Parts: sequence; structure tokens; C-alpha cells
Amino acid sequence: MVDALRCLPGVGPKSAQRIAFHLLERDREGGLRLARIMADAMTRIRRCRRCRTLTEQEVCALCTNPHRDGGLLCVVEQPSEILAIEQATEFRGLYFVLGGRLSPLDGIGPAELGLDLLDARLGGGEVREVILAISPTVEGSATAHFIAESADRHGVSATRIAHGVPLGGELEYLDGGTLALAFNGRRRL
Amino acid sequence: MNARGSLFQAFVLHRRDYGNTSLLLEVFAAGRGRFPAIAKGARRARHPTSALLQPFQPLWLDAVGRGEVLTLTRVEAAGPAIGLLGRPLLCGFYLNELLVRLLGRDDPHDPLFAFYHAALTGLAGGDDLESLLRQFEIRLLDELGYALALDVEADCDRPVMPDGVYVLVPGQGMLRAQPDDRAERVSGATLLALAQGDRLAPHQLREARALLRRLLEPHLGGRPLKSRALFRRFAVASAPSPVPGSGSGQGAGASRDSTPLGITNRSLES
Ligand SMILES: [Zn+2]
Repeated sequence: MVDALRCLPGVGPKSAQRIAFHLLERDREGGLRLARIMADAMTRIRRCRRCRTLTEQEVCALCTNPHRDGGLLCVVEQPSEILAIEQATEFRGLYFVLGGRLSPLDGIGPAELGLDLLDARLGGGEVREVILAISPTVEGSATAHFIAESADRHGVSATRIAHGVPLGGELEYLDGGTLALAFNGRRRL
Repeated sequence: MNARGSLFQAFVLHRRDYGNTSLLLEVFAAGRGRFPAIAKGARRARHPTSALLQPFQPLWLDAVGRGEVLTLTRVEAAGPAIGLLGRPLLCGFYLNELLVRLLGRDDPHDPLFAFYHAALTGLAGGDDLESLLRQFEIRLLDELGYALALDVEADCDRPVMPDGVYVLVPGQGMLRAQPDDRAERVSGATLLALAQGDRLAPHQLREARALLRRLLEPHLGGRPLKSRALFRRFAVASAPSPVPGSGSGQGAGASRDSTPLGITNRSLES
């Protein structure tokens, strides 16, 4: 049980032991409930056929929502980023989840990221603009470039979210790369 | 460029997340060669070293530790990141994969470090990617002690002639092609261009690529290079439209045409 708990992110041997004792000694009820829900979720939740996010349905609630604008497609790396964007922004378009970034040395190529599915989506005629919300790392930029080329082939405009100075951040403490990106992405006031 | 105190110049070849806040890096450093290192806490929010510890960023590093994996204690930029995008970026990944696959641990390769830095700068310049990759492959083989004379015949030390035709005999070198040789032929002019580090003419690219592929193969242990596969996809995807009668671009014809890593690129043919 201690071993199994260590599959949780941030849980080392010590915490795993603490959690195990806690559940066994003080909260068997809670432990059983967690086990049931976990087993259920692990078997029922899969990837949305359209956007690859996690869902219990064939196609997720966002993809089937008639009030979303299908002309705007935001590409993210992880399902958790959809949540972040939904909570923080007014974005009303749809999403596409890659599940990572192109990284040849890790064996992550276009197939692993569902780029064929994305390409078909961009070629489907509905999408006007694809918004790339991908980390500004070297692998992220390779991924963005790949998608931008695919968008270009289908006559879809491709944009990238701005990267730069964090709110409340002071320029002095910023790394050179971020500062350079922020500089390149400057806007007229 | 001299070392600053105990700092050494380096590039990150590869990085992956390690634990919740750290990075596990494959580092290639001047005077030290390739070694794994951990950057503790580099992934904490707004930690500036996470942005620096990326491939193609010239770095000054310091590290401590004994045993297999070192721990980085200082990270500074040694200049702006080398800006690679699109095809040059894939070529950069390819160089990194070659180094990760072929360089032994902790085997200092000073000339190679300088050459790697120069090759990246060349890739960023964007022109003649192919000649750059071939030159890098040759330097790498040289450094590893797998050098092969490309400008003399292996059995008699006669110099290779620009108008001669040769074949590679594994383990020996280049021999003059005989009519019944079934191995792939290489012109003397291509061999001389490779040996002298000259730019390759467009018609020499294919045979130079095939030759280097065969020279590298025995050292790759039978596992294909992953960045080659990515390049193939990239090349196929970026073709504006299939060229009539050009086949699928994968399968048998894949090594026939003209991208730096030896993969069909229909956009170049059209
Ligand atoms: Zn969906």
C-alpha cells in the first residue's frame, strides 16, 4: 500500500507511510470511498474524441456546448490548462489537448501528440484561428512551429499567446530569455 | 574564452523533469564532456534558471558532487540563446541526439565542444544545413576515434581523385568502385569536399548523406535516431501539396531525396 501510494505526485516514502497509517487507523471509511472513486474514474475517464481532454463521455462537454465558438481553437499541452484558461479568461472558443511537446530524444513525436487529428481539424473548414498556448521552451517552440505550418497549409491563422513579464514581476529579476521574448512581443500603447 | 573561476562553459543537450521541482539534465561541457546533472529547485515558479537550462543556450555552470550525477550550483547565461526555429531547430535536436547517443560519459572533447557551438550558430544562420550536419558528423566520428580517411584509397594510399568513383568498405575505408560492386557509390569530388570541410554541391548532398549514415550506423547500436523520424514527419507535413507521382514520401523512397537528415521532402522537389 505504501508503495502504491508513492505513484502520487509529491508523495515520497515518508508521506506514503503517513497516509497509509492515517487511512488504516483513523479513516477506513474515507479510504474505501477513495478506492471506489479511483477505480471508477480510472476505468471510465478517457480522452475526448475531438479535443483529447479527459472526459467520461465520447465527446466532452466543452466540445458539445453549442454556445462555444468553433472558429477559435486553443491548443494546450495539458487538460489542466483548459481549467486555468476557463477560470482566468473570457475565451469562448474550443480547445485541443496535445498531452506534451515534441521531443525527439524522449520519443515524443507528432503521433503521440495527436497532431494528425489536429491537422484534420484545421483542414475541416470550421476553424478560423488557432491559438497556441504552449510553453516557451525549445520543445514548445518546435511544436508551435509544426502546428503553425499545418495551419498555414489550411489557410487558418495561427497566433501564440504572449509570453513575458509576470504581473507584479520586476524586470531586474527576469532571466534574459523571458526579457527577450517580452521585448519582441512589445505592443503599441 | 577563459573559465571564470570554477565555472565551465556548457550546453544542455536534454532535460527532463525530476521530482516535483528539479530538472535532470544531460550536459555537454567544455573540458568535461557529457555528464548528467541535477538542477535542484529549477522548476519552482519564477525560478530564473529553468528558462536558462534549455538546449541551445550557451551557459556557464558550476557543479559539485561525486559519482554518477552531479548537482549544479551555479547557472549563468554565456550569451543569448542560439535562436533555432523550424528546420534548423530539428537539425539542432539531431545534433543533440547524436551527442547523447555517441559520446561516452565524462570523456572531454574540447575541439568537439567548440565545433558544436559553431555548428549551432551556423544552423541559426540557416543556410546550407546539410553541409553543416555532414561536417559535424565527420568531426564527431573523428573525435570518437572512428575516423576514416576519405581522401586516400584504403588499400594503396593513392589519393582520391575528384573524377574517380568509390565505395565504402566497412572497417577499411574507401576503395575504387569495381563494376560488380553492389555498395552505394560515392564520387571522389564528394569525398574530397567532405575531407576538406568544403560546402557540398547540391548534387553531392545525397551521396554524402548516405555515406555518413553508413559510417554512423555501427556506432548507434541498431537503434534508429528519433530525430530522423521527426524530421520525416515534419518534411512531409510541410509539403505544400503532394507532388504528382512522387509516391507517399515514406516507405521505400524515404531515403532517396533531400532533407538534411536523409528524408524525402516533397517541398524541395516541387
Ligand atoms: Zn472535447
